Amino acid sequence: MTHFFRHVKTIAHRDFIAVVGTPMFLLFLMGPLLMIGLSYLSGAGAETAAKSSRDAARIAILAKPADIPALGAAERELEPMELRVPKLEILPSTADDAKAAHDLLESKKADYFAVMYGPLEAPIIQHEAESLRSAAYLRELAERVLRARKAAVTSPAKLTKPQMQPIKPQRNGVGGQLATAFGAVLGIFFLTIILASQAVGMLAEEKSNKVIEVIAAASPLEAVFVGKLIGMFGAAMLFVGFWGVVLGVWMTNYPMGQALAASIAPAVGIGPFLVLCGLYFAMSYMLLGALLLGFGGLASTMREIQMLSLPVTLLQFAMYSIASQGSGAPGSTIATVAEIIPFSSPMAMAARAANDSALWPHAVALGWQTLWVAIIIALGAKLFRIGVLKSGSWRTLFSRKSAA
Amino acid sequence: MDFPIRAENITKNFGKAQAVKGVSLQVPKGMIYGVLGPNGAGKTTTLRMLLGIIDPDSGTRELLGHSAPREASDRVGYLPEERGLYPSMKARETIAFMGALRGLDWSEGRKRAGEMMENIGLGHAVDKKIKQMSKGMAQLVQLLGSVVHKPELIVLDEPFSGLDPVNQEHLELLIRAEQARGATILFSTHVMGHAERLCDHLSIIVGGLVRFDGTVESAREMLPMQAHYVPHTPDAKLVKLLPEGAAADGDGWRFMVPEKGVEDILAKLIKSGNGIAGLAMQRPSLHDAFVKIVREAGGTVDLDEGVVE
Repeated sequence: MTHFFRHVKTIAHRDFIAVVGTPMFLLFLMGPLLMIGLSYLSGAGAETAAKSSRDAARIAILAKPADIPALGAAERELEPMELRVPKLEILPSTADDAKAAHDLLESKKADYFAVMYGPLEAPIIQHEAESLRSAAYLRELAERVLRARKAAVTSPAKLTKPQMQPIKPQRNGVGGQLATAFGAVLGIFFLTIILASQAVGMLAEEKSNKVIEVIAAASPLEAVFVGKLIGMFGAAMLFVGFWGVVLGVWMTNYPMGQALAASIAPAVGIGPFLVLCGLYFAMSYMLLGALLLGFGGLASTMREIQMLSLPVTLLQFAMYSIASQGSGAPGSTIATVAEIIPFSSPMAMAARAANDSALWPHAVALGWQTLWVAIIIALGAKLFRIGVLKSGSWRTLFSRKSAA
Repeated sequence: MDFPIRAENITKNFGKAQAVKGVSLQVPKGMIYGVLGPNGAGKTTTLRMLLGIIDPDSGTRELLGHSAPREASDRVGYLPEERGLYPSMKARETIAFMGALRGLDWSEGRKRAGEMMENIGLGHAVDKKIKQMSKGMAQLVQLLGSVVHKPELIVLDEPFSGLDPVNQEHLELLIRAEQARGATILFSTHVMGHAERLCDHLSIIVGGLVRFDGTVESAREMLPMQAHYVPHTPDAKLVKLLPEGAAADGDGWRFMVPEKGVEDILAKLIKSGNGIAGLAMQRPSLHDAFVKIVREAGGTVDLDEGVVE
């Protein structure tokens, strides 16, 4: 066993240095900056467009001068409720309110979605067919003015004087847990698909420059596979570590980040949850990486590598779909199935850590996933031995006999 | 006698093609042992089976006392026929990496790499990347990587191919130095000159079977002495006076010396008036013996490319 791990260490060391010690790794490390930058630019563009659109939106009331203050007061009353209606303009009524309303709705200077005119007891509200909320809001304003008059409440002072007591509940909200579970599934899926997919071409280099013969003569192929996975995983962890620190700084120092951090509410507690997520990411990486490495080892050309990696990527998308469904329905059949299937298990179990406080299922799951990593590596090495080194036959693929 | 390598009737099929039909070898300790054969004879497959890179379909093998060759992999150095190095790795790191694969500490490997490269005059290139080196230099780096951990057994598959004469000489010196250190060396080649100069013992494989096993001398003794005769006056008709199989060679004739000697032939030549301007008796070369063995085994000879089956 010591011999095996010594080979693993040698291969991992070589691969880690080969990946990290190149300028290309910096580019890889900074890749998300490009993504964030593009997202920011497109987000800013969309925000500007949305803001302009919001600023142009209007609703209006053509009111008698006597009603204008009361309508203004009613508007201010409703303001704290954040009803998300377009900006209200209260305009003095004209000789021909119907025409004035029509002119407003057809205006090219702003987008009027609804206009109310006429007596408050029987107002006419003209609105775009889809703008029912705006129309209802105008009706509510009229209603409030009339009700206030009928009750002879003239003072703007509130009749109720509630005692507001803000509290911070200690319980983890179910909604927060579900959101955390989904976030864990999504995070592990994305990190795995981005980082583990590189494993597909890892043996291509050795095959193309014939180093594989030197390595295969000295090291057991299983050790080569494990070493390559660990070497690449080391590089992946540098990536995750770097961006983890950036994320941590953002979550502790910026309001949006703090709000996000506050919304993370795993059932097992934040510390164990982070540890479990790290372990499940490692397992997910190893499972997918071993599969891609095994398939990629058989390919001879870049085209073959791409063709072989496609079904594996699609499989991982299917696994994500199952795990994300399971994360929204803890304890359901779909959640259990997702926890058992080896390739969805890491994502589903991370979701379980968010939804359920029991820790023992994680020990079982990690053992189960490790077993599958070992099975896939053993099969991948055997496939490589048969398909590339031409040792053994396809008939012996599932037999336990290995090359001496 | 101690035999670092033993193989008994090992066979290997690739699909329907029978690459090795039953090879038996015993490589004595401390010897330089050559495996000769035409292209496609099964030399590389045999070496790969001996090293445990691939399994034989039948037969047994033993490497440094282990029936599972990988158990002895740290005590073995191997230069494969298809050379392969990481192009972006520096020479020093490459040698250290190859040593690390065989159990040598990385830092010790780096130290030895510098010394070894210095010894063969490549000290200036120790921190060069492989892709910045010539093919021959890279090949020497790979060879150094194969022996950096001071293995007991060194297996070299066609080590001289692709090297210029200067580097071939470097390699020969290195092989002799490794033998002097106490290593056993097994190498394959189809270039007879190297085998003739280096090998203490050799096996000739043709068509997946060992057709000869013995010393270079015993291989050469399979053929009678050769005579190279130059007449005073060249005459095509005098071939009738020479033994069967005589062939023109430059300004004279070459023929196999009959068992009863050349005296009768020389007497006839003098009597015919052609005289004797020159006569040289030569022992046949390993190349001659090799060609004979290959032909007898049903192989064919390509005069431009060496020998092919």
